[in-house]
Amino acid sequence: MSGRVRRLLARTFLAAAAAASAGCAAMKVEPWDRDLLAEKKMSFTPAPLESAIDDHVYFSKEGSTGGQGVGGGGCGCN
Amino acid sequence: MTPPPGGTPRRVSALRARLGAAACLLVAAGARSAAAQIPDSTTTPDTSWNPDSTRAPVAASSPSYRWQFDGAGLLYSEKGRAKVIEPQARITRLFPDGQTLSATLGLDVITGASPTGAIPTTTVQTTTTPSGNVQTATANEVPTHPFNDLREGLDLEWTKPFGGWLTPSLGTHFSREKDYRSVGGTAKLSVAMMRKLTTVTVGAGYNEDRVDPVGGTRAPLADGSVLLGTGANPKRVRSALAGVSRVLTRRWLFGVTGSRSTEHGYLTDPYKVISVLDTTGAPTSDVVTESRPTSRTRYDVLASSVYHLTQNILYASYRYYWDDWGVTSHTADARYRVELSNQSFFQPHIRYYFQTRANFFQFGLPQGAPLPEFATSDARLGDLRTITLGATYGFHPHAGPGEVTLRAEYLRQWGKGSGGDQDGGEFEGEGAPAASSGRIDFIPPESIGSIVVGYSIPF
Repeated sequence: MSGRVRRLLARTFLAAAAAASAGCAAMKVEPWDRDLLAEKKMSFTPAPLESAIDDHVYFSKEGSTGGQGVGGGGCGCN
Repeated sequence: MTPPPGGTPRRVSALRARLGAAACLLVAAGARSAAAQIPDSTTTPDTSWNPDSTRAPVAASSPSYRWQFDGAGLLYSEKGRAKVIEPQARITRLFPDGQTLSATLGLDVITGASPTGAIPTTTVQTTTTPSGNVQTATANEVPTHPFNDLREGLDLEWTKPFGGWLTPSLGTHFSREKDYRSVGGTAKLSVAMMRKLTTVTVGAGYNEDRVDPVGGTRAPLADGSVLLGTGANPKRVRSALAGVSRVLTRRWLFGVTGSRSTEHGYLTDPYKVISVLDTTGAPTSDVVTESRPTSRTRYDVLASSVYHLTQNILYASYRYYWDDWGVTSHTADARYRVELSNQSFFQPHIRYYFQTRANFFQFGLPQGAPLPEFATSDARLGDLRTITLGATYGFHPHAGPGEVTLRAEYLRQWGKGSGGDQDGGEFEGEGAPAASSGRIDFIPPESIGSIVVGYSIPF
């Protein structure tokens, strides 16, 4: 991957992060409005064990990995 | 609302405001830790951040529970190849102050066959493994070698929130299989800010792995008879992660995470081989071992969204990945949770994966030509596509507590690369050799089915 594309991706990431942290500050979600957000199913990984199994399957069948965390149990995955 | 006798609308409004303020204080103060000290209390769950995920809000767990058990079992079958049974169990201790300590035990029982890396030909192929076994591959089929393995893994994780806004997390893991051992640790720190609407997470991990090939480590790009040694080969993995998530609206959670990992050491697949091609470009019956670089740096950026519609929930994510081996990939994933009732849900799932090949990937090596420094024909490093279709059904059993989930999925994976005949047939895929006759898919479509059964219960 060229350095230009990497810089573009890095800027995209920073822009998204900035938008997420600041640009949406005008959207107020008060504590008493967080009933839906507090539900277990309103998370990025509502079923962590199944997600771990999925990661293992895809790690053994594809050439790329990552996105969900750091580290984790490695495998030979022949 | 009807005013009470003798009351006025202004007094009702004031009462409503006080009730609202009380509810606000209850939630904002972190009801989970407060309520944990009151047995059997039913409280409004807080929205501090889930230590189990880099960006997810905490589950609406009832603090009256002290333990949580999660179990999942995978049944996995590749048509004509590997079969896997993978049970996982996790027990979590929930402390009153929000601290959690969990242990996850997992097993993998694997049997079947795995592609050798050699390309299919129209003739029968015979190869000899390092342990002396002679394998015969059927004509026009991808050559495979039989294998079986048992993987055992243990993960421990500790998380403790401080002050309602700072959540460190430490983890360690150990796993071993016949020819591989992994020991590692992770550390993460999540900081909730802007009234807990934004969470920034940073993390790092380190793995100290050892690859111990059955029959010894074979010399790269050789016929397999030369051994470099019989000891284990080190492999070290360092990873770092940074992410930010944001509650955009009452119904919408969004996050972006970037991570980088570096691998050093023995990264070659010890059992893969590459076909040797004759002067016409057709594969011979000879093969040589593959060779990969001893370092790899991976990057990925993941954007995730969870949106709560009136009742149902849409999960969507996109990941872009690239590494210094030349592999790039795009992964799009979507799940739609349909609430059937308070007691059950149905969740269809679709995933699409697109990958470009590593820059040292090739289907075969020309006989007599100078050998490259690195070469592999492992389909997992070639041009590859995967599509996944599946669905989950979850319910709370009438006869007991907890939640049961049943998931079935179908994966279809295929690559790019085929050889045509010598009379003007097409060659697809860079470096694709000719088949000796007829048209052959070098990475034919593969069908995979899986079933996952899950069970969770707090107690």
